[in-house]
Amino acid sequence: MKGSLRSRLTSSLFVLPYFLCFCVFLLYPLISGIILSLQNNDMLGTHEFVGLQNYIDIFTPGTYIHDAFFRGLWGTVKFVVYSVPFLILVGLALALLVNSLNARVRGVFRTIFFIPYAISATVMATIWMRVFDTDSGFLNLMLDKLHIHHQQHIGWFTDTPWVWIALVVSTIWWTIGFNMMLFINGLNEVPEELYEAAKLDGANAWNRLTRITLPSIKNVTAVVMVMTIIASFNVFAQPNLMTRGGPGFETTVMLMNVFDVAYGQHQGGAASAMAILLGLIMMIVSAAVYRLLFRKEA
Amino acid sequence: MKRLNRFGFTVAILVLVMSLVLAACGGKKESNGSSASASGSAPASSDNSGGKSGSKTELLFWTPFSGPDGSFMKSIVDNYNKQSDKYFVKYQIQPNGDYYKLLDNAFGTKKNMPDFMIMHLDSIPTYAKKDLLLPMDDLAAKAGIQKSDYVEAAVDYANIDGKWMGIPLDIHPLIMYYNKDLFQAAGITAPPTNKEEFLAAAKKLTDPSKGQWGYVMPTQWPQQFLFPSLVYQQGADLADADGKPTLNTPAAVAALEFEKSLIFEHKVSPQKVAQDGEVKLFLQGKNAIQFNGPWMKDQWDKAKLNYGVAPIPVFFDKPGVFAGSHNFVVPKSQTDPNKLDGIGDFLKYVAGHSIDWAKSGQAVASKAVLNSEEFKALNTQQTEVAKEFDYVHFAPPVPNWGSYVGELWKQINLVLLNDGDVKKALDEAQAKAEQAAAANK
Repeated sequence: MKGSLRSRLTSSLFVLPYFLCFCVFLLYPLISGIILSLQNNDMLGTHEFVGLQNYIDIFTPGTYIHDAFFRGLWGTVKFVVYSVPFLILVGLALALLVNSLNARVRGVFRTIFFIPYAISATVMATIWMRVFDTDSGFLNLMLDKLHIHHQQHIGWFTDTPWVWIALVVSTIWWTIGFNMMLFINGLNEVPEELYEAAKLDGANAWNRLTRITLPSIKNVTAVVMVMTIIASFNVFAQPNLMTRGGPGFETTVMLMNVFDVAYGQHQGGAASAMAILLGLIMMIVSAAVYRLLFRKEA
Repeated sequence: MKRLNRFGFTVAILVLVMSLVLAACGGKKESNGSSASASGSAPASSDNSGGKSGSKTELLFWTPFSGPDGSFMKSIVDNYNKQSDKYFVKYQIQPNGDYYKLLDNAFGTKKNMPDFMIMHLDSIPTYAKKDLLLPMDDLAAKAGIQKSDYVEAAVDYANIDGKWMGIPLDIHPLIMYYNKDLFQAAGITAPPTNKEEFLAAAKKLTDPSKGQWGYVMPTQWPQQFLFPSLVYQQGADLADADGKPTLNTPAAVAALEFEKSLIFEHKVSPQKVAQDGEVKLFLQGKNAIQFNGPWMKDQWDKAKLNYGVAPIPVFFDKPGVFAGSHNFVVPKSQTDPNKLDGIGDFLKYVAGHSIDWAKSGQAVASKAVLNSEEFKALNTQQTEVAKEFDYVHFAPPVPNWGSYVGELWKQINLVLLNDGDVKKALDEAQAKAEQAAAANK
């Protein structure tokens, strides 16, 4: 009896550090965020409880915060739709490529593809602004040499749909290393015998990929997908630094507007309500994706 | 026994983790504590045995000068600390982009508050109306600082409800930079001073086949400085006397029509200019003229450009230019008379010694320094900037003004990119500004 109590205590103690961190870094901010969203808070020391007024304002057409929320949401959703498929497909493709290299150079390429992930947002933005600038950018100068769009340059940051292409390409370059690493780990888990057996049965490379590799890494894929969706919903640095939300408000994403409402308007409560609604939407979308992927097994 | 060992091991690990966590928290608390004691009434009580700084009152000073300008302010502070035997100014640079976030945090949580700090002039109304800033009148009177010591425009603006809320350090208006080599090649001898000269020069300097442009029109930043300047030059403003936005006036329409005409009618600017596009082309010697702030000097110098500086041409009826300004402010929570005396002492010193700040390329607001031989001897930028001081305008003194005009910049962006309808765009900007005003309870 005494022993089992002690062992139960031991196991709870193992969880305690994580639980403490969870409380300090997740639970506490979340709860204070929810409380904040129920206040009229100028972030400068004065606040009053207003109940659900901030949420009501968000759904009342014609208010400042209504437009900030729905325009921002539209921009963010567009980015999610355009970026997530590429972030997953390119990540998987890179993982397959790197994994098919011989072991000696594999590490080198893994590192090369992962390096941009470690670069700060400002550096990433500076690099890609040099590539995509309309008149002095590397890309348009290359196109000039090939006499493509020579008369009128492509506005990579100033025209739709180019601006989305530019944002997705720079995002892929910046973050793809992370997805690639997860996929590589997944690929390493697939038992080698399956491939050998398939080869003996005469399965070609495409069949091995679709019949063995993809089903085997389904769990990893689901995780990557959910994490990528969450990351893309949280897009901020790329449009904030490179397009400044332009052209017009085309790429003005949700977090830019949350920031504007919180620190430009000094309406902390309203900004928090926007952020919490965005969080809810992210949770619903992630759950739906997860369900969709595992529907057959359930 | 084995189980006991494992149990002991777990406890040990746990103690380690807990102590790390607590150490982090403790560290935070300690720093809070020290700042609390710093804003208490007792003079700094650090026991630096025999250390001279130990007996000085420490004044925590926040600035957003995380760029190249930071070291210029540091040399002022260092020199002040060397000559003062009563006060020690602790100079703290906060990252420029996060400055107001950090300041808001300090105001909101009432923790880690600096004793005094730099604030942009057009942010002062936001904080003054919330009663977060200490009027400077008493502090200035005691230190022998007078309003007439500084350029009027900044002093007048900081005079809110009859109280002086901020003491100016500098004024940074939009100025004209031009590429001297391109001017010479085109046979232009002097920088343009009005619309006709500007158009003539810009057309001469434009050669699309070489990818060279007379004036590359920015479609984003620094429109925040350019567009209002063009409105002021017509005797108009972006808000009326009551602080209500007036973004679709005939003057505003004329200003934007003129900007648009440079791209689509006079064709002295390329189309579809991206953020910083005009800066990149200026650095490459493919943009002859650009309007930007005095803070760009460092970039041009590093690129070894042969450039000149001049006041913004008068495009409409009269001179007028948008400006920002760095000001010293004191939080309302600061009540320690000893510290207030120290802040006054430091600001008095700065008024006499801000020449070091002028060396960063800025023109300072202290008349004593502006009129000094030392200032006049600086290279041309600072003196050219100071020429604009008679007709500088600042953003309307409306709390949270930035959120009123967020839509305006987006609409200007769209008009300049797509050859859009000016009146319609400005009507839209006006409608959104009114929404923001309604939300600004």
